Amino acid sequence: MNVFYILPLIFLYLVSCTSRSELTVAVGGTSAEVSYWYKLIKRFEEEEGIEVRIIRQASDSDLRRQHLILSMISHLEDPDVFFMDVAWVGQFIYSGWLEPINLDTKPFFKGSIEVAYREGELYAVPVNIDCGLLYYRSDLLEEYGCDVPETWEELLECSLKAVDEDIYGFVWQGAQYEGLVCTFLEFSYSAGGDLGNINSEENLKALTFMRDIIRIHKISPPDTYVSMKEEEVRLIFQRGLALFERNWPYAYKLHKAENSPVKDKFGVAPLPRFEGGRRASCLGGWYIGLSRFSDRKEEGKKLIRFITSYEVQKDLVEGLGWNSPRIDVMEELGEKYAHLKVVREACNYAVARPPVPYYAQISYIIQKYVNGVLAGLIKPEEALSRMDKEIRELKEYYE
Amino acid sequence: MRMFYILNLPAFITVSLIILLPILGTFAISLFRFVTFSEPSFVGISNYLRLFSDEVFINSVLFTLKFVFFSVSAEIFLGIVLALLINEKIPLRGLFRGIVLLPWVIPSVVSGRVWEIMFNYSYGFLNFIAEIVADLRINWLGTEIGAFLSLVIADVWRTVPFVALIILAGLQSIPDEIYDQSKIDGAGSLSRFFFVTLPMIDVFILTALIFRTIDALRVFDIVFVLTGGGPSGSTTPLTLYAYKYYLSGDFGYGSAVSVILFLLTLLVSIFLFRVVGRR
Repeated sequence: MNVFYILPLIFLYLVSCTSRSELTVAVGGTSAEVSYWYKLIKRFEEEEGIEVRIIRQASDSDLRRQHLILSMISHLEDPDVFFMDVAWVGQFIYSGWLEPINLDTKPFFKGSIEVAYREGELYAVPVNIDCGLLYYRSDLLEEYGCDVPETWEELLECSLKAVDEDIYGFVWQGAQYEGLVCTFLEFSYSAGGDLGNINSEENLKALTFMRDIIRIHKISPPDTYVSMKEEEVRLIFQRGLALFERNWPYAYKLHKAENSPVKDKFGVAPLPRFEGGRRASCLGGWYIGLSRFSDRKEEGKKLIRFITSYEVQKDLVEGLGWNSPRIDVMEELGEKYAHLKVVREACNYAVARPPVPYYAQISYIIQKYVNGVLAGLIKPEEALSRMDKEIRELKEYYE
Repeated sequence: MRMFYILNLPAFITVSLIILLPILGTFAISLFRFVTFSEPSFVGISNYLRLFSDEVFINSVLFTLKFVFFSVSAEIFLGIVLALLINEKIPLRGLFRGIVLLPWVIPSVVSGRVWEIMFNYSYGFLNFIAEIVADLRINWLGTEIGAFLSLVIADVWRTVPFVALIILAGLQSIPDEIYDQSKIDGAGSLSRFFFVTLPMIDVFILTALIFRTIDALRVFDIVFVLTGGGPSGSTTPLTLYAYKYYLSGDFGYGSAVSVILFLLTLLVSIFLFRVVGRR
């Protein structure tokens, strides 16, 4: 099959055409992130005496993934070390592109480390994590006489009071995109279901609830399934137009900003569960891994240990505002930044999306049908059984 | 005769290397179950069989054809109108010709971003106008029909200058004497256009048509930037569909999509070349 590798190989060789004697690490994302990495890697070079070359990637995550896939299928020696979104870790592990790493995983959140294991070997280490959170308006809760909801039923009850006052009860991500898989996963697990067994009573309960809070109880905006992504949801809550919001930890800093109308009027909590269910938070974040084709494996492992070490992780939280996958770091900084305590609790309930190599196709199926249910185009029962059938077919095809 | 082959050999080798080989390579991969997470295995035409029962693929073909039809028709029509305008002896003609070309000079990713900002629901320029004029907001990119029209508008805006340029070249090749003659014969401006201008530039129109059709079949950048294929995957051209499979690591299936797109483009080009060749 080598003939298929040759063309991209020649191309990449011509493009990169550099001496390949040093450790190479691929870095991308926002410019703040990138310059932070430059600083950190410089520190690593000084401490360890290892020379590191940085490959600048695009800021768009699909383009970063494309760059890595091309390098991997061409078995390139560079980059040696790179970052992966949690959603592609499965693909990279099952494609055999990653080198096992020896590392003490005890300080890390269990949910965040499980995805990176295959057959007893650790293939990637989380560098930052995200867990879904519930934001609430503390002033309004007091006014309506509600507690911070523990269950979705309580959330619904309290939200109905908000609807009477002409603001939305609960805003969340319902548009057809990756974020919808996360919200569906959270509702499903918190009802006691899971995504491994799609066609279940619990998932039916979850999906029906998601539809009904838009279409029957009307506590969520009517265009939830058309346009609600992270930023749309955040802006509605921030303008004071909603009682509850489901979002990632990044929204906290923005809600707290000087010019935010809800600056002193909101709180944050782990997401509710259904009565009789369990709490769940969708796991997001980035992982670091070492290429199997690397020619600098020992140095690469050192860099990974450095970046995931207690000291550096603390720096990343304070410098970039990230959430660390290390429990010890989150615990210590929780004393200083109160919201990190909540993030830490929510991350205890973290659930990863299925770490299968063909996850992208599964995600597409879930998005299509869940969005169809929210739009009222298909009944929850039928959507679940069709999802189940299509995912089964995928499994048969790929396994 | 042997000399002919020898002298053509370098060109043949070059063309083979840069065009034929990738096409054959893609076709070969499309016959394999070629996913990154397992060993490749030969599966014959099963990728193609899977394609034809794939609803999303069928919709993608239909979208591509619909997009080609609407955008190319509008481009040819507006291109002719624009070419006639800048062919007139108006003051500052050179300046106008320069301005008309501008959209074609802007990289399509950049113009895609600009249109995305114009079409934005909350702060877009178009909704700003719509709110003043009719007190309503249109969800341009949020509905199927809206997203489709937005793509056509953005593509037409960008490529009309190209069509106009080709047709302008045709217009300038028509000798003034023919117009003088037809005026003497009593032809009005409309019949001069239909019986003199149009027959004289039809080859140029067909050339523009071929270029634009082939380009529109392969549309990628403007869709990638403007709608990303949404909503509900309703604006996914074949190129973007294949790209999604490459990204998720299924190269066999992605290649099958590419091969179908190649065949479609080939068929359309042969058809159009035939029409031109007959003239």
